[in-house]
Amino acid sequence: MERGFVLREGEGGFERAVGILEMIDKFPDALSDEDVEGAADFVYPDLRNTVLGLLELPSSRQLEVLFFRRVLRIFREAQRAREEGKKLIFIPFTFPPEIFWAFDNIFPLCTEIVAGAIVNICAGQGERFWDFAMGLGLPDSLCSANTIGTMNLIHGPGLKPDAIVYNTPGSCNPNAKIHAFAADYLGIPQFTLEKPVDETPRGREFHYRGFLRFLRELEEWSGQPLREERLREVLELSYRAVDLYNEYWELKKARPCPVPNIFGMSLLVLRSQMWGREEAVEVLQRMVDISKERLRRGEFTAEERARVYFAYIYYLFDFYNYFTWAEKNGVTILGDILAIHHFPEPDLTSMDSMLHMLADTAFDYPMTRQMGASSISVKWLEDISRAANDLGADACIFGGVHACKHTLGTISYLRRELMRQSGLPTLILMGDVMDKRHLPMPMFQEEVMVFVDQVVAKKRQSRRRRRGAGGGCESEAPAPPEGEAGERAV
Amino acid sequence: MTREALAEELAGQPEGLFTEYVRRWKESGGKVIGYSCLIAPVELVEAAGLLPYRIKALGSAVTELADAEMSLYNCSYCRSCLQLGLDGTYSFLDGVIETNGCDHMRAMFENWMHRVDPPFFHYLKAPHYLRDDALEYFLGGLELLKRDLEEHFGSEVTDGALERAMEERARVRELWRDLCRLRELDLPTVSGSEALALEIRGSAMLSSDYASLLEDFIRERERAEGRKPLARLMFCGPATDEVAWFAELEAMGAAVVADALCFGTRAFLPEPPPGDDPLRRLAEGYLGNLFCPRMYLEYGRRRDLILQTARRARVNGVVYLYNKFCDLHGVDSALLRRDLEREGIPVLVLEKEYSARADLGRVKTRVQAFLERIGGEAAWKGASS
Repeated sequence: MERGFVLREGEGGFERAVGILEMIDKFPDALSDEDVEGAADFVYPDLRNTVLGLLELPSSRQLEVLFFRRVLRIFREAQRAREEGKKLIFIPFTFPPEIFWAFDNIFPLCTEIVAGAIVNICAGQGERFWDFAMGLGLPDSLCSANTIGTMNLIHGPGLKPDAIVYNTPGSCNPNAKIHAFAADYLGIPQFTLEKPVDETPRGREFHYRGFLRFLRELEEWSGQPLREERLREVLELSYRAVDLYNEYWELKKARPCPVPNIFGMSLLVLRSQMWGREEAVEVLQRMVDISKERLRRGEFTAEERARVYFAYIYYLFDFYNYFTWAEKNGVTILGDILAIHHFPEPDLTSMDSMLHMLADTAFDYPMTRQMGASSISVKWLEDISRAANDLGADACIFGGVHACKHTLGTISYLRRELMRQSGLPTLILMGDVMDKRHLPMPMFQEEVMVFVDQVVAKKRQSRRRRRGAGGGCESEAPAPPEGEAGERAV
Repeated sequence: MTREALAEELAGQPEGLFTEYVRRWKESGGKVIGYSCLIAPVELVEAAGLLPYRIKALGSAVTELADAEMSLYNCSYCRSCLQLGLDGTYSFLDGVIETNGCDHMRAMFENWMHRVDPPFFHYLKAPHYLRDDALEYFLGGLELLKRDLEEHFGSEVTDGALERAMEERARVRELWRDLCRLRELDLPTVSGSEALALEIRGSAMLSSDYASLLEDFIRERERAEGRKPLARLMFCGPATDEVAWFAELEAMGAAVVADALCFGTRAFLPEPPPGDDPLRRLAEGYLGNLFCPRMYLEYGRRRDLILQTARRARVNGVVYLYNKFCDLHGVDSALLRRDLEREGIPVLVLEKEYSARADLGRVKTRVQAFLERIGGEAAWKGASS
């Protein structure tokens, strides 16, 4: 089998990913261990780690087949969008997709979700598109997620959007610039919304006015007004998902955590692409049901040795060696910055109230809220420490991404203050979200295990000693002695 | 400014940040306000009776303190500036105005705020579009800055004082255009590195004194004999204050006859339009004429301005230089290279480390190759025919 990235005539990365998803769609609903092993052996190495990452552990298997299928459904619809009279619009992962689902004739596809599909499904992991960007003269300090996603569009052949949206001017330079670049390069309209670095009423008012203008521009461009009834339907679905998200969050608090690590990735895809659609509700419901059932039965993949909150974003190019590996080694991944949502109280009584809700959701959308704050470091610290403390984290891990200059420029403050204010140690890693060449997974695993063994385990032991001395109740199972990490998958 | 004084500036060192001018200003009881981005209107600071001082690093490559706060993936210019804040070099600043120029600069200012904690700190939040609502928001931001300056420093900013400061700044802009004309002559009498040195010195002076400096310099150079360069170049890019670096490149025989640099011509583009309300005029002038890649939906305006300048100055090629990890300029440079080369103007994109002397040899090799590629004047004639 050819190991490179194979594109067939008329196909781009997106079409290739859809083609392979079609194959996975043929999997039966219930997969045995042998089925998974057979499937993993059948496919090329880059896809193997995706198949294993999603399906190897029984804890996630029953969810992820459904998840794959729903992703495929959305992608198929995107391919048919134009035939059905809809305009295809690319949106960043920093923007609530429900806004676009509320339009009758706009179909949103999230740039970074498309990139994630290419990276995790296609042979070559999208490096072809990154290298293409370098060939265009773009700097190598950009974000692989949105660069691979947009370069797939420019590189062609295949899917081409009718417009591009971005809302990160001022909160993330690489994200905004590459989306603007793609629109300029392709000569298609670009719609933008600025979230000012200002949480005062003045800043919120500016954002709200901009949001209304943004919607007007979309209406004019698409030729159809936003209908109140349709918006209400979409928001009702969104808030059903919000209720499930809240349940999911509560389940994460349990010790040991019954929520499989890989669900964190699934949540990200649901929020960035499917929120406001039935699929998000369906998959989230299954995630909650599975986690509840595991909690009830006391089913856990391994003894929980560390509960870590990821202070930034996940690395998303090798699900198996990241999420699955951590779970098998007793490292619970509680969440990342993209899992911290601030949904306003629902008020679906009028068009005006719904528009305010949507604007507020966009204002406080993950990453937009922190990196677009008047103080990145202060808002970031506030949200991460609240989430980490709420979920009972032992420590934080900062998976630095070379493109993300805002967090890289303020991580020292975050690490210092997380320790000072919450006693949470933070491991700093440098890598990339979708390009494995920056930090290979064996290095990631080694760094995490040393951190868990040397820092987290000792912290847990000293906490237990303090509780013991004070006659406090000991609720945690004792950690294995140092050096006995149990079974480790490498 | 004499050739001798310029030579001093050309050999600028970080200790030169606390200039004789600033020392005298402080000794007379004056206060100094640091700012970094061109979106900060110096007129408003001057109208409050304060000295606006553009934060810079003068080629200082030391970043050890800053590296403890920011990562090596952050722009080395911002880290160098932060270093000088952390090591006390900038202790003469009585306050700092933060602006949201780019991700690096925001991080630099946040660390400055946490670690240096200057007596006065104001965040001027500038929108990223030129639209009516953005203009109103920015105007509101200027009102807040004015109020904070007045309250903290106890000096009322009257319309009259603001108008006077704007007139003085307008005079500086006019003189800068005169300076540009001397650079653009067939036999330029002002070099690019001299222009850069002037702006570095002027960005730590009151506009009235900067105007005198420019007047003297221009008077001297109007009488001077120019020299035909090997090639006529235009430099584009972000904030860079490495005068010695520029001088070394010009010593290769090319002259930088035009620029679109942050410490250069782009500093003089924010020109307030006529009107009755001086603060509104400032808002319109600055937000509307920033010509910085931080502004969105404006790539076409930036490209046209550069194209127009390149044609007027009859350049043989454009060098787009930016510091490593600068995504704003990095992305713009890719589009500009495509568009300018379509118009027959050769472009060299140079990504470099700020003030890394070790990088100079590599850069000089690339510039030399570019000069050979464009072939000087002959190439320009070919492109324009």
